[in-house]
Amino acid sequence: MGDESENDPAIGTGNQDELIMQQQRQIEREISETTALVGDLEPIVSLNNEYSNDNVYLEKIKDLSSKYKHIRRTRPDGNCFFRAFTYAMIEKMLDNANELEQFFKLIETSKADLLTLGFPEFTVDDFYETFMDVLKRVRDIKGVNDAKKELHSLFNEQGYSDYMVVYLRLLTSGHLQRDQEFYSCFIEGGRTVSDFCHQEVEPMYKESDHIHIMAACAALNTGVRVVYMDRGSSKSNIEHDLPEGTTPSVHLLYRPGHYDILYL
Amino acid sequence: MAGSALRRLMAEYKQLTLNPPEGIIAGPINEENFFEWEALITGPEGTCFEGGVFPAKLIFPCDYPLSPPKMQFTCEMFHPNIYSDGRVCISILHAPGDDPMGYESSAERWSPVQSVEKILLSVVSMLAEPNDESGANVDAAKMWRENREEFNKIADRIVRKTLGIYIRE
Repeated sequence: MGDESENDPAIGTGNQDELIMQQQRQIEREISETTALVGDLEPIVSLNNEYSNDNVYLEKIKDLSSKYKHIRRTRPDGNCFFRAFTYAMIEKMLDNANELEQFFKLIETSKADLLTLGFPEFTVDDFYETFMDVLKRVRDIKGVNDAKKELHSLFNEQGYSDYMVVYLRLLTSGHLQRDQEFYSCFIEGGRTVSDFCHQEVEPMYKESDHIHIMAACAALNTGVRVVYMDRGSSKSNIEHDLPEGTTPSVHLLYRPGHYDILYL
Repeated sequence: MAGSALRRLMAEYKQLTLNPPEGIIAGPINEENFFEWEALITGPEGTCFEGGVFPAKLIFPCDYPLSPPKMQFTCEMFHPNIYSDGRVCISILHAPGDDPMGYESSAERWSPVQSVEKILLSVVSMLAEPNDESGANVDAAKMWRENREEFNKIADRIVRKTLGIYIRE
């Protein structure tokens, strides 16, 4: 942009909006980059450091540590549910070759379903292939511990990690659209299910709500337990199994605006 | 990951070359650098921009398609949704949440399954039907609303200019 445009008041207002957005992005980036995409296992009590003077939270951390041993933090970038969920699920399946094989087949056939729904192939391909590539790479490693290490390192490479997130977003969107009659009653603001998917599910960095979690679980044929920890007055944390009545394969900790992975 | 961005841009270029949408040509300016494209957009028929051929450039971020490209016309433009320096301001070029113009909630937004083709088609619709609620160019928006005849005259001059026809005022 030349000097000329900077003196033009009409452009000035436009630029200002963009500058504010850029600055906001920059701040978000700086905050998020201090946290790994997917962190190491840490004891539950490590949460105490974040709430040293907050008795409500300290009490709830105590409750949490009576049920769970470890927490694995994820980067708070709006993708945390999708990233945490995919990671935790694959990690768990590395202990069970049968489950992993079934999951592999489910993902393998999932692309065809997305194309049937009208997703253009050349925009889906890269995400699908990256997801399959990661599954193959961890599956082909003999030792479970080595496979878990590889998973951890792939999930901390932005290129792989973000593409995994996108593909799960697409599968979630696909599921919502396939079952739109059911999901339409959970969507507020008079939007259609496909509008909702285009605006709240498919774009990166958009945070997840109950409906995302329900659909993601259904798409991957699994269940998740979400433990809600907030400043509410109850002494213990509230647990939700999604979809209701399923046996959870993944446990996530939700604090307002963010998901991390929990380990029994 | 630049590797994936490059692969995706090459796939999109191939797609656009094999199946070009009507009235649109687009591709990298220089095949050494797939992150800068030029596009030529024909003004949609039956609108005041009919007959014009408008050049624009597209700049892709290294995390494309996670983030959208930026688009800027390189010819003179006068349109409610185009800044006077040519930058295009439509919802599909923004992720949800990025809301410089307070787009309607139903407006189409950027996501990794959108594409260059979708953007260019949206730009063609934008030329045909300006959104005078989101005023990137306030003067153009006001004139579009209040003095269509004058707006059409300016558009006509710009169309001729893109074709290299010089008209004395």
